[in-house]
Amino acid sequence: MTYELNVAHLYGDLMNTYGDVGNILALQYYAKQMDVHLNVKVVSLDQDFNADDYDMAFFGGGQDFEQEIVSQDIQTKKQALTDFIESGGPVLAICGGYQLLGHYYIDAKGDKIPGIGALDHYTLPQDHNRFIGDIVIKNAENGETYHGFENHQGKTYLGKGERPLGNVVEGKGNNGEDHTEGAIYKNTYCSYFHGPILTRNGNLAKRLLVAALKRRYPDADFSKQEALPIAATF
Amino acid sequence: MTLRSSVAAFAGRSSYWFLHTFLKGGSSLPGKITTKIDPDILKHLGQNYDVVIITGTNGKTLTTALTVRVLKQKYHAILTNPTGSNMEQGIVTTFLRAPKAKGNRPIAVLEVDEANVIKVTRYIKPKAFVFTNIFRDQMDRYGEIYTTYQKIIDGVALAPDATIIANGDAPIFHSKNLPNPIVYYGFDQDSDDKTTDMKAKPNTDGVLCPKCQHILHYHSLVYSNLGDYFCPNCGYKRPELTYKLTKVGDRTPKSSSFEVDHSPMKIEIGGMYNIYNALAAYAVGRFFDVTPEQINTAFSEDKKVFGRQEEINVDGKKVTLILVKNPVGLNQVLDMISTDKQPFSFVGLLNANYADGIDTSWIWDGNFEDLPKLNIPAYITGGERYKDITFRLKVAGVPDDKHEIVPELSDVLEKIKTLPTENVYVLATYTAVLQLRKLLAEKGYIKEGMGA
Repeated sequence: MTYELNVAHLYGDLMNTYGDVGNILALQYYAKQMDVHLNVKVVSLDQDFNADDYDMAFFGGGQDFEQEIVSQDIQTKKQALTDFIESGGPVLAICGGYQLLGHYYIDAKGDKIPGIGALDHYTLPQDHNRFIGDIVIKNAENGETYHGFENHQGKTYLGKGERPLGNVVEGKGNNGEDHTEGAIYKNTYCSYFHGPILTRNGNLAKRLLVAALKRRYPDADFSKQEALPIAATF
Repeated sequence: MTLRSSVAAFAGRSSYWFLHTFLKGGSSLPGKITTKIDPDILKHLGQNYDVVIITGTNGKTLTTALTVRVLKQKYHAILTNPTGSNMEQGIVTTFLRAPKAKGNRPIAVLEVDEANVIKVTRYIKPKAFVFTNIFRDQMDRYGEIYTTYQKIIDGVALAPDATIIANGDAPIFHSKNLPNPIVYYGFDQDSDDKTTDMKAKPNTDGVLCPKCQHILHYHSLVYSNLGDYFCPNCGYKRPELTYKLTKVGDRTPKSSSFEVDHSPMKIEIGGMYNIYNALAAYAVGRFFDVTPEQINTAFSEDKKVFGRQEEINVDGKKVTLILVKNPVGLNQVLDMISTDKQPFSFVGLLNANYADGIDTSWIWDGNFEDLPKLNIPAYITGGERYKDITFRLKVAGVPDDKHEIVPELSDVLEKIKTLPTENVYVLATYTAVLQLRKLLAEKGYIKEGMGA
């Protein structure tokens, strides 16, 4: 392989519900076709996240109990993660990972669980309800349609500087009210999508990989990688 | 029995007789009728029995069946519920159709759905509970593993005198202080090296120390998060085991040899998870004073108890149809078929109806990456969600030239006849199993009905 990228799988041993690890597998699958070798490392409790060591980060969703623990630990990585995001490092955050990049979420018991506030959203609970089901959204900027499966109790509201990943065509999305789903800020992509998101939406995997490549190898030509055809998988 | 209970039981029994005589079926309706007339009916129906409740995510059915076999070595009258009837109504029906017990106090071995434990313990105080394991399963129904365990514990709280017989290798079963007497069973092989220090694979559920919330380490791992765990931070560790699996011997997809407390045993079924089921049945047997020799006899005597993985002859192909429903179970099945010494083809059928779980994401938690290492000459993917399972195998590295995509199950059945190997493993989700069995029955390869 000509190129190499280092991926931090944030709390991969704790935040791993609903097949979210499939996103790592999809990244590896497309990276191979793009002549890129991925080194994936789990960065978990009591371990440092050194922003300079990584070209991309993936942050999946977990169970309530695990997420509470992660909420405490991630505060020690808050600065480094925020720096990484601000400097255009590509990040994909799903479900609980999405919530923890924002200011806070309120869990099913009513407890306020702090995030790192790297992104400007926050998450409120629903009363005895979850949004569960197939979901389709459309990105207003690039016209791409994304397919996924949502399963979340939280209702997320986007803040300043965040654009939605897409507008809801079918399903509930961030909060069931404003027809938005997910968030984009710089090269950070957030979503409630399982399925997983990158196995059903290979073009998003490609977008993340290309962003990481351009950042790591600023002088190289990645037009071939950008032209990689992505077959429909769903 | 009160008059009301008698009337209720009579109505239920009559409806059971009617349904089975004239309509050939119906196992929850009699229970429904009975509980409608007398909501407390279980109390009256169950009060003459020594009840064992078997619960957990995986392995309930086989553990229940094996436990019945084991206890039959010593006790004559044993009542049990048929597969699938593990909710409240099905359990009421089970008691209703029981023949009148004579002589000794009879035993009832009941497989009970995790959330239904409390519905049973509200009326019946069991002698023992068996906890097999808790893994993620159909999360849209019960939520997370801690929620599921809490549901079980809420039911156990109504029976504080019952002995809990729990899988000691599952960290969650040692996470709460309960008033009940507890005995643990688990794997403690003579070959285990106690100085080993490892972690579970990153994609494993339930690896946080229940006491200090650091990541658990292991001296040995059986599968998933089951093993000889310890916390390097606070010293929390696996409890002392009363019943130990001391050796795993030869394993094939159809048999497993092992030793429990150094007594050699064999079961006619493959899969490490089934060794756990046998170990659980052994523990219950010992709890009821059945001897290890009697237990070994029970395991080897009746092979029909292992009917779950039936082999179907399809024009000369030996087709083994296996139900898969969650990542841990799936990984165990993949591990089991990897012990086959004969070449085989692989068929994966995925549906996403309610009974399958409507979210197919879970297939990404399965170790399909192990498949290409097995040198399998032919793969087929199909079912209503064939696109999902097809891409899963592609990403796992299954080569395109060995992989056929056949959405329709009727076509899959035809394709199976042309596969290059005599042995064929079909892994399918619940409704895909039902659909395939229906097709197989229509074509005369099996008799009508649900055996799996």
